[in-house]
Amino acid sequence: MLGFILAEIPRLFTIYNVILLAKAALTTLALSAVGCVVGLFCGALLTVARLSRRPALWPLKAFAFLYVEIMRRVPFLITLMTFFFGAQVLGFDFSPLAIAFVSTSVISTAFVAEIVRSGLQAVRPSQLEAAAVMNFSAWQSFWLVRLPQAWPIILPPVFAYFVLFIKDTALASQAGVLELTQAARILNTKGFSASLVYAAVLLLYFAISYPLARLGVVLEKRLGAARHSRPGRPV
Amino acid sequence: MHYVLHYGQIAPYLPYLLGGMLISLALSILSFAGGMVLGLAFAIIRDEGDPIASRLVRGYVAFFTNTPQLVQIYVIYFGLPDFGVLFSPFAAVLIGMTLNAAGYLTEILRAGLVSVHIEELDAAATLNMNRLQTLRHVVLPHLFRVTMPALSNQYILMTLGTSMAAIFGVEELTGRAFNINSTTFRSIEIFTTVAAIYVVVTFIVTILLALFGRWAFRARVPVL
Repeated sequence: MLGFILAEIPRLFTIYNVILLAKAALTTLALSAVGCVVGLFCGALLTVARLSRRPALWPLKAFAFLYVEIMRRVPFLITLMTFFFGAQVLGFDFSPLAIAFVSTSVISTAFVAEIVRSGLQAVRPSQLEAAAVMNFSAWQSFWLVRLPQAWPIILPPVFAYFVLFIKDTALASQAGVLELTQAARILNTKGFSASLVYAAVLLLYFAISYPLARLGVVLEKRLGAARHSRPGRPV
Repeated sequence: MHYVLHYGQIAPYLPYLLGGMLISLALSILSFAGGMVLGLAFAIIRDEGDPIASRLVRGYVAFFTNTPQLVQIYVIYFGLPDFGVLFSPFAAVLIGMTLNAAGYLTEILRAGLVSVHIEELDAAATLNMNRLQTLRHVVLPHLFRVTMPALSNQYILMTLGTSMAAIFGVEELTGRAFNINSTTFRSIEIFTTVAAIYVVVTFIVTILLALFGRWAFRARVPVL
């Protein structure tokens, strides 16, 4: 059996199959990247709403709290299927890729919002009090004081989440999106051995995810070092 | 857009769905338990085993945490039959989830092992404890206390991860949602109901785990 499978390898890596796999790998990366970028933007908005002290914003605060607490407890597959079948039932004609992008964004907004919140809250209150003493407006103290100190804390876990999410996007194959897992299913249907194509795709995922994970560790060390080596008295 | 939501149509299926949740929970509990056993062994090997075994464990963790659980189960369920190894859907998902969990749990538990203070180990040595006694009375209590939040979190993520068992035909919560969807076509109602069940159940589990943590790791004042 192993002989048969090994004999298939040259046939698997023909130019067309390689192009298919390369495109699929790009889609896999794009799904996670778009999810995280949208998540960073929307998550930041949710967090700013949640941390604001203005009484008038309470519905927004409640929404931000419920969104984060609920969406982090819904499996990605369920979110995906809700949008996938929901769009069909409601009569929208969206491509599976568009649906996958929406689902990844919706889910990662919740997770990234939580990362952003812990990052913003890690800034010492004395810093904000100092800003208030200097008569900074709310926007100035956020933009000039809070954010510059928070982003080195926020970025590494967001990047780690991006790498983690690359693996979760494998589920998008269930909606028919042509990413790596779906490419494997197509090649399997074309007649290649399941063990060969799935093992090959497993290795491709590893080749994408492992270097990024290492990069994340380097990023964390660098930003961490920048944070700790800053001169000045403890406040 | 003239769609009217009919939650009433899927209300009769609620007991069926809750039964599916029990299968999901069984899957997550079994794979978490298996993952803890493997993960603990791997973490100890990684921490104090010989260099070759430690390297193998590092490779295992890197591989299983950098590839999707879905494709790992694909290899087990669709790939291994090429070599004459056949599993039922439930067994394939359980094995895949256990192996995957072992990778993540090894990392969590190792971080806990590293945090055991050297003084505690010195004290154990002074009391003439052997390695097993040190593990049982000094290392493990410390380990579970410091890793409890991370372990709870991982368990919740794994419970959500059981939904991919539906893809292999296991009739757990998501699988049953697919079944109802294909007979009633009330997709939005079904999937939002199922999402609500996941939210409520994981919320209850989070609270129970937090209470368990408070009870298990309460400050024990010796009665003299």
